[in-house]
Amino acid sequence: MSILKLDKAMIRFGGLVAVNEVSFELNKGDLFGLIGPNGAGKTTCFNLITGVYKPTSGQILFNGTDITGTPSNKIAKLGICRTFQNIRLFKALSVLENVVVGGFLRHKTGLFSALAYLPNSIHETDKLKADAMELLRVVNLDHVAHVRSADLSYGMQRRLEIARAMATQPELLLLDEPAAGMNPQEKEELLLMVKKIRDEHGMTVLLIEHDMRFVMGLCERIVVLDHGEEIAQGPPSAIRNDPKVIAAYLGEAV
Amino acid sequence: MKFWPIRILSIIGAVLGCFLFEGIAHHQSDYTQRLIILAGLYVTLAVSLNLINGITGQFSIGHAAFYQVGAYLGGYLSVNYFKSMHLPPLVWLLVIMVAGAAAAAFAGLIVGLPSLRLRGDYLAIVTLGFGEIIRIKIQNTPALGGSYGLNVEPKIQSIAIVWLLAILCIAVCRNLLKTANGLPFLAVREDEVASSAMGVNVTRIKVSAFLLGSAFAGAAGALLASYEGFITPATFAMDVSFIILTMVVLGGTGSITGSVVSAIFLSYLPEYLRGLKDSSGEPLTLTGGSVVASLIAVITVVAVIRWIYTDGSRNKSTRIGMTLGAIVGGFVVQAVIAAILNHNGKLHNSILVAAVVAVVTVAFLIRSIYASRATSKTWQTGLKGLGALLGGLAVAAVLNTVLTHLFNLNDGKVEVGQLRMVIFAITLIVLMLLRPQGVFAHHEFSWTWVSKLFKGRKGATA
Ligand SMILES: Nc1ncnc2c1ncn2[C@@H]1O[C@H](COP(=O)(O)OP(=O)(O)O)[C@@H](O)[C@H]1O
Ligand SMILES: [Mg+2]
Repeated sequence: MSILKLDKAMIRFGGLVAVNEVSFELNKGDLFGLIGPNGAGKTTCFNLITGVYKPTSGQILFNGTDITGTPSNKIAKLGICRTFQNIRLFKALSVLENVVVGGFLRHKTGLFSALAYLPNSIHETDKLKADAMELLRVVNLDHVAHVRSADLSYGMQRRLEIARAMATQPELLLLDEPAAGMNPQEKEELLLMVKKIRDEHGMTVLLIEHDMRFVMGLCERIVVLDHGEEIAQGPPSAIRNDPKVIAAYLGEAV
Repeated sequence: MKFWPIRILSIIGAVLGCFLFEGIAHHQSDYTQRLIILAGLYVTLAVSLNLINGITGQFSIGHAAFYQVGAYLGGYLSVNYFKSMHLPPLVWLLVIMVAGAAAAAFAGLIVGLPSLRLRGDYLAIVTLGFGEIIRIKIQNTPALGGSYGLNVEPKIQSIAIVWLLAILCIAVCRNLLKTANGLPFLAVREDEVASSAMGVNVTRIKVSAFLLGSAFAGAAGALLASYEGFITPATFAMDVSFIILTMVVLGGTGSITGSVVSAIFLSYLPEYLRGLKDSSGEPLTLTGGSVVASLIAVITVVAVIRWIYTDGSRNKSTRIGMTLGAIVGGFVVQAVIAAILNHNGKLHNSILVAAVVAVVTVAFLIRSIYASRATSKTWQTGLKGLGALLGGLAVAAVLNTVLTHLFNLNDGKVEVGQLRMVIFAITLIVLMLLRPQGVFAHHEFSWTWVSKLFKGRKGATA
């Protein structure tokens, strides 16, 4: 059974159809790419999957259950978490605290215990912090754990967003242009990291990326959007030679 | 585990401490006791508003409404049920506190609901409007005394309970921030979309913040009603909301320590000003000259402090030293200018106009010289600062002309106590110029911080 299935998902903003009857399916353990020129509707697809917008029509299934129109926070609890194209960290919080917020959805201690500072709330807080520290090691940010997240470099902020999303322990991780603004070396490290997330942490990854070489080197299957329409789908080798894709990316090296 | 013994001991300690404090304060004058009680209530109000405004980031400015709901419910219950319940006064105080908290929490829930849709300024307007609605509703309810006010019988005064409430409020907020449960509140303040993408139930967090914050304000209200013995809707007018907000902003939005310190300071300040007497025992008055002098001094000090902190070459202790120096210097400047301006008891507008013209000219000259001539960086910043300073002085002088007419300072004097709101406003302006994040910013008091501070000082002097 597929882990995520978009069935003719469509959304209209006023007169603009940002995503038009797009359908694709991810299997567990996939490293899946979502590509297309600027304004193609990729981020909007993520917003539909994570419940930021409700589709005008169509259906979204996660592990076989219909999640169309479910609120964001519930979708996160079901096991889908994302990063943002325009980084949205909790700026005034420390790196560690950002990751703890991600882990908080598995937190069981009620507000009352916390307000009374009862032992269970203290223990669980310590445990969340330890888990978060562990994740920071994975993305190689443990040395800046107590730095204000806004003070990190761009590349580090992107990695922190990934760690924060991973902290929710999602089955499906959505990465929106994770390599944007990174230098070649950082990109190389990111590539290895994303592979590791799939291989060692067992997460399914759906990734939007602008850098063609990055996507082709990383993803096993790719969907191409253009003007909200799905124009191609398949393994990188097929996508590379698809005339429609070449036309959509006219002038760009594919 | 040693948790429960320590917890129980610390609670007993706090209770005993507060009653001991009351025992000591009992020998002081009624006036001093009043100051202590008001400070305790304002600490509760500021810390609880800080939970909504500073920690959760919901810009609510109608906090006095919750205070009022608690006060009126507490007062009403006292008047109608105290005699028939046969409870000891202190227990009764706890009962009305809980009732006031519950009623205010309910009001908080109602105000919290729009916060699910509204942000920033819009929410501020709604909370302010809600506060006014409550006030007017009470004003028109005969059972609550209408605009004449409500006589609350019995009057119960307890410094210990007031401060225990304040301590409880501080402890609850501190605990929230110390555990992981506080992080979603901060996360909602930082970014709602990202919060809900991480599974945070934004609705629940906002409503919890409003419920908790308003409950504490309501409890404080109930204590106020039985302490004062008389409340009117005017007791909770908009300026009370404004004062509480000032306390939160001054202390640093999000910092509990900041709210506590500035609540004590700002609740005492007006009383202090009102209590000032001149040599003949009359309430201290200000002449136009002293007001101008004060404005000039404040602006000078602000400019100097800005300059100290924007130039990055100095270390921390030098900066603190220079800042203190600037403040002391400010007082001297104030005294000197006041002495000159008050020379014949009157301020001459013609002198003032001449001074404004002169100062503006000089400011322009300096700025243009700076633009064309200055080559070294130090000179550039220095001259730029001087130009800004003189420009500021000119503005102060103009402001003064307006102020003197507004308060009729020219042919006489104004009591310092009446300038309360003006002083609050100036405090806010100065703060926004120097340190928009508030005195304590996001920092909290901790013993490690204190020890570091002392180590830092020693290191600097050695
Ligand atoms: N909330 C919105 N309201 C109106 N138009 C939107 C909204 N979100 C996205 N769009 C439009 O949808 C189109 C697709 O945007 P997006 O999904 O961000 O593209 P990209 O593929 O570059 O991520 C763009 O034309 C954008 O302007
Ligand atoms: Mg995009």
